[in-house]
Amino acid sequence: MLRYAASRLLRAILTIWIAVTVTFFLLRLLPADPTLLVVEGDMTPEMQEALRSQYGLDKPILQQYVLYLGQLVQGNLGVSFRQLVPVADLLLSRLPWTLLLAGSAFVLTLLVGIPLGVYAAVGRGGLVDRGVQFFGITSNALFIPSVAILLLVVFGSNLGWFPIGQAIDPDTRGLAAYASLLHHLALPLFSLVLVQLGPYALTLRTNMVEVLGEDYITSARSRGLTQRRVVWRHALRNAVLPALMLMGLQLGTLIGGAVLTETVFAYPGVGRLIFESVQQLDYPVLQGAFVVLAVTVVLANLVTDLLSMVLNPRIRT
Amino acid sequence: MSTEPQNLTVDTPSAAMTTARRRRAGGFFSAPSGWLSVGVLGMFVVIALVGPLSVDSPSGLGTDILQSPSTDHWFGTDDLGQDVFAQVVWGTRISLMVGAVASLIAICIGTLLGLAAAYVKRLDPVVTTLTDVMLSLPMLPLMILVTALAGPSVVTLITVIGLLSWPEVTRMIRANGLVVAAMPYIDGARVLGAGATRIISREILPAVMPLVVVNVLLTAARAVIAEAGLSFLGMGDPSSWSWGRILLNAQRSGTIASAWWQTLFPSLAILLLVLAATIAGIRYNDSRDPRTRGV
Repeated sequence: MLRYAASRLLRAILTIWIAVTVTFFLLRLLPADPTLLVVEGDMTPEMQEALRSQYGLDKPILQQYVLYLGQLVQGNLGVSFRQLVPVADLLLSRLPWTLLLAGSAFVLTLLVGIPLGVYAAVGRGGLVDRGVQFFGITSNALFIPSVAILLLVVFGSNLGWFPIGQAIDPDTRGLAAYASLLHHLALPLFSLVLVQLGPYALTLRTNMVEVLGEDYITSARSRGLTQRRVVWRHALRNAVLPALMLMGLQLGTLIGGAVLTETVFAYPGVGRLIFESVQQLDYPVLQGAFVVLAVTVVLANLVTDLLSMVLNPRIRT
Repeated sequence: MSTEPQNLTVDTPSAAMTTARRRRAGGFFSAPSGWLSVGVLGMFVVIALVGPLSVDSPSGLGTDILQSPSTDHWFGTDDLGQDVFAQVVWGTRISLMVGAVASLIAICIGTLLGLAAAYVKRLDPVVTTLTDVMLSLPMLPLMILVTALAGPSVVTLITVIGLLSWPEVTRMIRANGLVVAAMPYIDGARVLGAGATRIISREILPAVMPLVVVNVLLTAARAVIAEAGLSFLGMGDPSSWSWGRILLNAQRSGTIASAWWQTLFPSLAILLLVLAATIAGIRYNDSRDPRTRGV
């Protein structure tokens, strides 16, 4: 068990290291000279030189790399070109919103996807099954901004049921603030879940169909256990584990979806920050956002893996 | 979204290898989903090739601002008076081109790595780890960063999407290649003195080729979505139209709520194209599966 946990931890560190290294060399290899991007307009060669040494760009590339890693470990992601505040501060103020959106989408997908996949697998060939298969393929083909815009137009502007834009009404306090929070979260969350749910339910259905054909299920049935008990106690556990791990692998896509959703709904998370930074060509923010999101995804993935380890008797021993 | 339906991975290619090509094609078109998806794909190809010749580029500024769909403007006009139908038609070319070329790049890299990992035991851990690492990273933010640094253009989009979309392909091809590599006829080829390159290219590759075809379609579908996403975030080629850019324009000009036609039609185009490519891939896979063939 410890060995498994250690190997997962090692994998997580390796992934973060690769993400960070790729970012560093991309930034140095691509033609864009950071000093030319800081401010537009004329710069004397001396100023440019001063700036280069300030950023450590006059040192050999390996030394720069070590310097960069050292700064990252200390949580230094550089300074935003446009807003002139530390990138780390900027990202940390936005990250909770992205975590809230992506985290609730993750949980909701699991909560709705599992029963959906189970019912489809148990009643194979039936109405629910056909529905799940159709939905699985269709929602795989949905473009998140399209879904988000549709929901925003119908339920936000036309029906006026939900607010459009922002994450909370700043004037609310206490319980009303939580209500406002959920109210603002509903549409972005729904558009994200709608796209995630289909393929997830479909995968769970496939796993469940396979598990239901196993010998130990037949044996459980022959012992006279009820269908409900066989399905929910015996089969589900073995079908959910691979599905949970798959969901962990899907976290990267989920975060990408959150970036797009936040953009449509002007939800103040990291994704919306990326959209704003793209328009202003704020490279340090884009770089920092990728590093922070990568670390988030890898850590969440690690948690999912450790969780399935606890649930899985075969790995636990 | 990249969770491919699981039934795509369980197929063993060898069973269908002896099937005549004619019968396989008949199987593919025997279901409505077969000819319907190919028909829609064909329609998009025709639009991409012929459309820009017959429809004027939506560059000029018109006086008909924010018109709803009419006989003059089939898909209405945007806030600058540009015809949305023309934008969608011109966008088809970019979306198809990025989807197709990026998919081919990803397929080449993915197949090569997948087959190498399946046959060469020493390479397997390296390739598997690299694939897992790539799969677990948030690709969209990485694509945004690279595109922003390289400068947005059609070439950048193709390269970035192509170079970052291979891990899914590698995973599928490797899993299938492992099954093939364990078959006795591979040992036979090795005994006859065939080298690794020859075995991979002459023996394993033909066996997994059907899966490669499926992957071309599925990867192209993902690439179209990725291109639309990058363009929607403002990372598209500023000098050419794409479906994502139409949505971005609506978002920027704040006409999302009022001008439904500006977002609906490009959205439908994306949905139709991606759905057609996905269904064609699934149908191709099913039509070769002895269990579901002829259904």
